[in-house]
Amino acid sequence: MLPLSIKDDEYKPAKFNLLFKLSGWFRSILADKTSRNLFFFLCLNLSFAFVELLYGIWSNSLGLISDSFHMFFDCTALLAGLAASVISRWRSNDSFSYGYVRAEVLAGFVNGLFLIFTAFFIFSEGVERALEPPDVHHERLLPVSIAGLLVNLVGIFVFQHGGHGHSHDGEGHGHSHSLFNGSIGHDHSHGGHGHSHTAKHGHGHDHGHGHGHGGHGHSHGEPDCHDDHSHTPGKGASKQILQGVFLHIVADTLGSIGVIISAFLMQKYDLMIADPICSMLIALLIGVSVVPLLRESIGILMQRTPPTLDHALPDCYQRVQQLQGVYNLQEPHFWTLCTDVYIGTLKLLVAPDADSRWILSQTHNIFTQVGVRQLYVQIDVAAM
Amino acid sequence: MAACEPNRARLLCMLSLTFGFFVVEVVVSRWTASLAMLSDSFHMLSDVIALVVALVAVRFAARTTATDKNTFGWIRAEVMGALVNAVFLTALCFTVVLEAVERFTEPHEIEFPRVVVVVGALGLAVNLLGLCMFRGHAHGGGGHGHSHGGGGKKGKKTTTGNKTTKSGNNAAEETNNLVPGTERRERTGSSHGECVDVQLNGSASYDDPEHDHSHDSASQLNMRGVFLHVLGDALGSVIVVINATIFTFMWQPCEPGVPCINPCINSHCTDHRHINRTLVELQDGDHGNHSDLQDMQTPLARAGPCWVLYLDPTLCVIMVCILLYTTYPLLKESALILLQTVPKQIDMHSLNSRLRELEGVLAVHELHIWQLAGSRIIATAHIKCHDPATYMDVAKRIKAFFHDEGIHATTIQPEFVTVNSESRASLCELSCRTQCAPKFCCGSADGPKPAEIAGAAGQKAIAAAASTTAMLEVINESLENAVRDQEIKGQGAPKAEEDVIVAREVESSL
Repeated sequence: MLPLSIKDDEYKPAKFNLLFKLSGWFRSILADKTSRNLFFFLCLNLSFAFVELLYGIWSNSLGLISDSFHMFFDCTALLAGLAASVISRWRSNDSFSYGYVRAEVLAGFVNGLFLIFTAFFIFSEGVERALEPPDVHHERLLPVSIAGLLVNLVGIFVFQHGGHGHSHDGEGHGHSHSLFNGSIGHDHSHGGHGHSHTAKHGHGHDHGHGHGHGGHGHSHGEPDCHDDHSHTPGKGASKQILQGVFLHIVADTLGSIGVIISAFLMQKYDLMIADPICSMLIALLIGVSVVPLLRESIGILMQRTPPTLDHALPDCYQRVQQLQGVYNLQEPHFWTLCTDVYIGTLKLLVAPDADSRWILSQTHNIFTQVGVRQLYVQIDVAAM
Repeated sequence: MAACEPNRARLLCMLSLTFGFFVVEVVVSRWTASLAMLSDSFHMLSDVIALVVALVAVRFAARTTATDKNTFGWIRAEVMGALVNAVFLTALCFTVVLEAVERFTEPHEIEFPRVVVVVGALGLAVNLLGLCMFRGHAHGGGGHGHSHGGGGKKGKKTTTGNKTTKSGNNAAEETNNLVPGTERRERTGSSHGECVDVQLNGSASYDDPEHDHSHDSASQLNMRGVFLHVLGDALGSVIVVINATIFTFMWQPCEPGVPCINPCINSHCTDHRHINRTLVELQDGDHGNHSDLQDMQTPLARAGPCWVLYLDPTLCVIMVCILLYTTYPLLKESALILLQTVPKQIDMHSLNSRLRELEGVLAVHELHIWQLAGSRIIATAHIKCHDPATYMDVAKRIKAFFHDEGIHATTIQPEFVTVNSESRASLCELSCRTQCAPKFCCGSADGPKPAEIAGAAGQKAIAAAASTTAMLEVINESLENAVRDQEIKGQGAPKAEEDVIVAREVESSL
């Protein structure tokens, strides 16, 4: 008699269990320090936004409501960074032969774009309000702005530890740093959001909060991984995201400070023009600060030769061409997959009697020393 | 460059039109002192920016020759342009939702509805013109994909006659160049018929990259972005016109001389509950307590139906939904290309297995296929073969195989089986170090956690290498194979590296 089983669950295909997936993602987030920080900061921001929204609805203040929506908008930027840091750790599969590591670069780029768009938006609103200054009510604005500032300071503190404190060698990096110390302002100081276009009334509200975003600051050209003593291995990727988040938060902090200052100016000296000017200035600052981030991520996405290797590569080409049996080196292509991961392909024209294996290994050595670990060398034997 | 000149011409034309209209809107808004018009004009400005982005992308992508820094040329610029436009559009949608929500909580009337209707209609005309201009781009040639020899999977081509000549051409020469220098100048008439400029195959070393097949399908993506942006703007204009028209006919405004209230708008000056009750009492003839309303005898007029004021935000939300729905595919496609995905039309698994079946191929490692832009697909792989003597034949066969698949830029690294390692044919000789282990690129067991790999793998690889017991002549092989060995971990890194370097120097002197 054949055994009959009623419950043969183990033979059923695995069901798509959403809860299981979610918990898997959750665990993945909590596993890594970066994504953990990002997640908690995202929660903080979200809760602040919700509180602001509820308070705005309760007190029927349009300014607060719209400001809370701005916060949600920025939370999406932070969410993008979080998603990128999780996604880039997935394993590669048939569709993604390199894995998902590029996600962080893409997230940085998208967040840079969002920042530019936000700057543009603030600028346009500043122009609108400059042309028609509405009344600004700052009574509700100040407490919100101060609370937002506090949230931002928390963010700075949290990401300060993870963000800096590393050695970055290589030329042409760290642009974000110089701009941090300089002037990054980010503010949606829509004091008087001006949506009542008939200008019957205006509201002051503040956008002072931290909207982190998972962009990436800059890549570090570290030819050999032994340098990573200041941070755990594998943190190279998340480092970029952290840099971007830090940039965002600092920008927002300065924005909150800007709002407070402009509120002060308006109350004390009745300078109504201070608000729009503040907005425009801050929009410009955001735009300027984002440029390095964008330039770098565009370079990576356009498959540009890694900037760190710009000087080293011609030497390598020379050395390869001096190997015995190599006639010519053709079509070198080097590009960055993600932080610190460089990929290269080239073609070598060799003599018929050359030792291909030796040439191959030597070439690999030469390029490994500059940090290119994935190399594809095609050997074309020259016809005699 | 002559190619895609129509593209650029259209973009420029649309750009000038839109910019002119933007100026018009700004002037009108100042004249009517209407902030709504001003904010609409900023939407136009964003449209201008989108067009500028697309134009810049097209101009950049025209430079497909390799430069020092950009060895692949600037072809990817168009994909980037498409992504930028898609992201921009998404951000714009968010903004519109925001404004719509604000209008929901605080509706306000349009001040000069007739002017708005006129200007809105003008804007709509401009946008419709743009739609017509870019429509052909967005939908006509939408499915270029790749078609060389393998048969076009997406069959929206009008002229396919040149395909056979193309594939024949490809097989004959070794068209390995990603950036068309000498070989790839053949070009079919493109399906959307704009950049029609058939190059003769005979012209050698004629550098005319814009006519390349892939360029068109990449520019497809870019033009789609522009199209979607213009579509969004057109929808916006439609909403403006509808709203203003309904407003003109349905709305009963408060005349300046006649005292009336506007029940739809909550003024912050008064508590609306209070005033409603008071004014209702007034209207019914009771005396109110407000001094300025005391001697009112005539019944109060009420401003027109309130639902008219809620029409605008509702339509906006609908428009946002439509836009997001149409933008999402573009966003996804350009993002996938930038993430170095294997192109959709290629089945890695079957390709891999067919590659292994080729004569002379022992094993295939680290096969990576990705799309540069459009139909430019690039593949790299390590192929294990018997010995260098027969390698060139195998190489030819592999190249022909890839050409049949539509992949013309391939870099194949040969790995030769040494005498004593025949049994380990499945292992990689010269493998990547950092990314490989978590991806088990040579088919071995689970590597360590991916998160830890990126930085540490370099150390581990070199460390592991030194402690293997492989023979000197296969020291290369062992170095790389050691990465796979799970038990060899955590050795002292610097010392190992020196050993390795010494070992290699020894090898080279043999």
